[in-house]
Amino acid sequence: MKQLLRLFLLSVPLTAAAQNPIISGQFTADPTARVFNNKVYLYPSHDILPPEGQRQDWFCMEDYHVFSSEDLVTWEDHGMIVSQNNVPWVRPNSYSMWAPDCVERNGKYYFYFPTSPKQGGGFGVGVAIADKPEGPYIPEPEPIKGINGIDPCVLLASDGNAYIFWGAGRCAKLSDNMKELAEDNPKEVVKWGEREMVNIGVNCLQDLPNRQAEGPFAFEYNGNYYLTYPYVRENTEVLAYAMSKNPMGPYEYKGLIMAEHANGCWTNHHSIVNYKGQWYLFYHHNAYSPNDDKRRSVQIEKLYFNEDGTIKEVTPTLRGVGINKADSRIEVDRYSTASEGVEYAYLDTTNTFRGWEVKLPKKGSYITYNDVDFTGANAKTYVIANVKADKNTSIVIRENNKNGKVIARLNLQVEPEGGANAAGGGMMMRRRSNAGLWHTVTTTVNYAPKGVVNLYISCEGEAASIDWVQFKTPPTYFTAATATPAKPDAEGFIRRWTILEPIDKPNRSNTVFTDTYLREHFNTEYFPNQFTIVPENGQKVKVGKEKLTWHKLDSERFNVKLFRFADGLQKQIYGVLFWNVTVIDCPEEIKDVRLAVGSNSASMWWLNGEEVLLLSGDRRMVKDDAVSPRITLKKGINILRGAVINGPGMSDFCVRFIDENENPVTGYEIK
Amino acid sequence: MNKIKSTLTLLSLSLTTSFAQVGQPFIHDPSTIVECDGKYYTYGTGGGGLISEDGWTWKSGAERPGGGAAPDAMKIGDRYLVIYGATGGGLGGGHNGRILTMWNKTMDPKSPDFKYTEAIEVAASDGLEDNDAIDPGLLLDPTTGRLWVCYGTYFGTIRLIEIDPNTGERVKGNKELDIAIDCEATDLIYRDGWYYLLGTHGTCCDGVNSTYNIVVGRSRTVTGPYIDNVGRDMYHGGGRMVIAAGDGVTGPGHFGRYIIDEGIEIMSCHYEADYAQGGRSVLGIRPLLWKNEWPIAGESFKGGTFEIESERRGYALELAVDFVRQNVQRAGGGFGFGGGGNSNTPVTPIENQKLEEVIGTWPTENIPVRIGDYMFRPHQRWTITPVAEAGGFLGGAYCKIVIEGTERALAATADLELTTVSEFTGADEQLWRIEQATDGTYRIMPKAIPGQEGLNTKYVLYSIADSTPTLAEWDFSTDNSKWNLRAH
Repeated sequence: MKQLLRLFLLSVPLTAAAQNPIISGQFTADPTARVFNNKVYLYPSHDILPPEGQRQDWFCMEDYHVFSSEDLVTWEDHGMIVSQNNVPWVRPNSYSMWAPDCVERNGKYYFYFPTSPKQGGGFGVGVAIADKPEGPYIPEPEPIKGINGIDPCVLLASDGNAYIFWGAGRCAKLSDNMKELAEDNPKEVVKWGEREMVNIGVNCLQDLPNRQAEGPFAFEYNGNYYLTYPYVRENTEVLAYAMSKNPMGPYEYKGLIMAEHANGCWTNHHSIVNYKGQWYLFYHHNAYSPNDDKRRSVQIEKLYFNEDGTIKEVTPTLRGVGINKADSRIEVDRYSTASEGVEYAYLDTTNTFRGWEVKLPKKGSYITYNDVDFTGANAKTYVIANVKADKNTSIVIRENNKNGKVIARLNLQVEPEGGANAAGGGMMMRRRSNAGLWHTVTTTVNYAPKGVVNLYISCEGEAASIDWVQFKTPPTYFTAATATPAKPDAEGFIRRWTILEPIDKPNRSNTVFTDTYLREHFNTEYFPNQFTIVPENGQKVKVGKEKLTWHKLDSERFNVKLFRFADGLQKQIYGVLFWNVTVIDCPEEIKDVRLAVGSNSASMWWLNGEEVLLLSGDRRMVKDDAVSPRITLKKGINILRGAVINGPGMSDFCVRFIDENENPVTGYEIK
Repeated sequence: MNKIKSTLTLLSLSLTTSFAQVGQPFIHDPSTIVECDGKYYTYGTGGGGLISEDGWTWKSGAERPGGGAAPDAMKIGDRYLVIYGATGGGLGGGHNGRILTMWNKTMDPKSPDFKYTEAIEVAASDGLEDNDAIDPGLLLDPTTGRLWVCYGTYFGTIRLIEIDPNTGERVKGNKELDIAIDCEATDLIYRDGWYYLLGTHGTCCDGVNSTYNIVVGRSRTVTGPYIDNVGRDMYHGGGRMVIAAGDGVTGPGHFGRYIIDEGIEIMSCHYEADYAQGGRSVLGIRPLLWKNEWPIAGESFKGGTFEIESERRGYALELAVDFVRQNVQRAGGGFGFGGGGNSNTPVTPIENQKLEEVIGTWPTENIPVRIGDYMFRPHQRWTITPVAEAGGFLGGAYCKIVIEGTERALAATADLELTTVSEFTGADEQLWRIEQATDGTYRIMPKAIPGQEGLNTKYVLYSIADSTPTLAEWDFSTDNSKWNLRAH
């Protein structure tokens, strides 16, 4: 058990699907995003709840994780890379692993991080080096000499130099080894009372709006250098920026990238990155910790430039960026836009990582949700929504806007049909009231959009709450057989069959399928020429008063899922009998083969009119469950016929021929 | 007539003697058994569950909210994780299932700490897809610390997902993986580099006619493929039998493994019908044996008359009394085997030595024991009988071990040696916990050591030398700890 407990502490690679915030299940702050090897790597700080003995209302960070994503939607956590207790110069249990950065130079990855040193006060900046963006990182034994401050950012400038920015906007050149400040940096001598201190580099924000400035992030674009940084404009931080033609300035103040967080969250901290041609702003907010703004979570927005190189101000959104796959759960409570009166709330205020719900308060209320990819959807696509309502109501999902095509109409029948006192009976459980309870509703779409569209989701009646929606497309079980002859598959399974729609054959249990029962009921004539017919696709036969149709199909799977065949035709699925025929064309006689069958439930098989195999009793679809005696496939046409019967089970079968060595026989065609 | 009647009586006795658990062990789809503060718990379909103080006598009383089907349970750290399946449309036909997890600090409903956290959904099926999200089984992978769940029924595939062992939530972004078809009530276990997927095959819920049975496939990775003993993938319906009907019970289903000690394992299941209990669905506990790295259910131990053979040397436990020669002429004669005598003399069988021929030579007080060549003589033949009023342990009832035809009982002594007392008194040191080990041998352990407090779970019958038994700590790695019970 001790070993198990220790193993729990090892990090588990986990991924997080997202809108904003992008990472759930843990806090992330001070995001530096970098593009390495066509992937976005995210190096945030890692806020945690302070352990006992630490100040409970202050920042608390003990290590760093690195995350990566190729679509800005799904993030993989590569685990812990640097911890306060595995760096030689760091004061143990100082919980001050603040905003980091990482850059690549000459195939090495340099991770810069500020934290509390064992010697002296303030903050030092350390370097850890790896061969891959996700590590493992080996920390240098000493911090960078000449830096006392927080929040390092390294700019690899087009002049060939690397510059490091830190603290309230100081900048110095790095030497080629990326681990020391260069010799030729300017030096300023500052007097602190009697003491004289030498500050290396220049303070780029000296004469700019800089109250409590920190977290500098510098980048280069179109011949301009941008120095972006949080500072306190009034009471809490904004993200601002300045521009220059030189990495070390002088910089000219340009304005805001993002205003103060509306909820009073004290800090903001950011990075700006171009990925696949689009600029993104990574920043943080306290969305998962509404009452404690020292526990923050990373968010992303798209960022745009004006023609003159200035930056358009960015507004935080719930939706964030990235395209959601329609068949994933889409948290529409992080919507793009909403009508007046729409509210969102935590599903569980004691565990905010469970996310939110959105309430559409009245008829006509709506939300929009941008960028959902319906690729692969078709007429059989169905929508599932996790919803809640006090009264019967409906929700409509349209394509793009309120006049768009209706994708689906969700009826929330939350009250028992026939009223709350409806009498019981077999369907009693279905009549349970769902009023005020989360439950899922499922319905086939009216229309399946193509490609990427926006969702317009509106309330068409009484108030309704939504947690998520998902559009699923069932697998294809069968395709129509073509005129081209088929081959058995690599394992010898015959996938082309002409199947008759199910014959009603009520049985409440599979255990009744005795040999006697089966011989009697399989040898009953349900339709004319039952044992000789080689049916065409679409041919009809009369069974009792019903006309049933033969369907010539190719199964997508080795097992022919009769259950799905019947279900797809909206026919009876339980208590049924299926007739199946296939035509085998052998180029030569094949002797001493065995017919190998698995079926759910019992089945009987005839080759060229002769009974060759009976699977009786309570059968399950097991590959090679039973085989025939040795038989001969004659040269030319052979007719293989089978009947499968079932009570309350999911009918299917798999059939192949095997040779003396139990290897599949494949040397024939299926007409 | 009398003879017929007595035969019938015997027959009916054998039909009504239950070797399933005693008490009111009525349950369907029992979770893996979990121990909490010295008591054992298992949860079943429908909400409640069973509690046992000793692992043998079970009664209802375990509590679990949420209803639904086929839970599993596990201790992780200092908390208990319970996972179960709930169905949206009700068990009456819908296949839109949900797998839910919840935590509790204790399993004891009487504890002040007993409070379940709010259930969290970790998987769901929408009613249309090829999966029914009920019947979850948990595996905490001892090699990685990662927590896996298999779930599903005949309605589609068995799926594998990963959940976070710290929160009980689904690992973000984790995708379901199809690992088997044609089974339900599955469970995953790990042993010595192999992952095993145990599935329940056949039909449930049809009383004595239920054909439920448990099959297994194995894989070197948790994600499969799970292959059976003939190379067939469980995704193609493969599976090797672990336990099926027999011994007065039908329809074993819903496997759970419990490791008592190294080399001592049990499996739990339900039997769809226990003939001895009127065909009710009951909890079953059987030894779990490992044969060529495949799990297989051992038989319930019913007692009988045996040679107690040491695995160490093959000698037999016996009373330390004088060997009494049988007064029978050696057949044949001379030095040539088969050469002498009259070949026309009819061959007459020889009777075994009888107790009354030798008992007079034995002391009447305590007689020590030793280990010697087995000659099926009265001082070597032990009758082992469950003692109903003595209670039991996880999976079995305490037994007395007496010389056949007598009440002379094997007993532990305060100095960790062995003796026999002339009359079995029911004292704890005369009661024995007999468990089949994973290799098919037996562990034989006194219920108590005189002068030591509480139950003994440490010392076992042990061959300290080829001919000398003693009590010593259980060690699966040595044959000195192990015994065979041979009826011959």
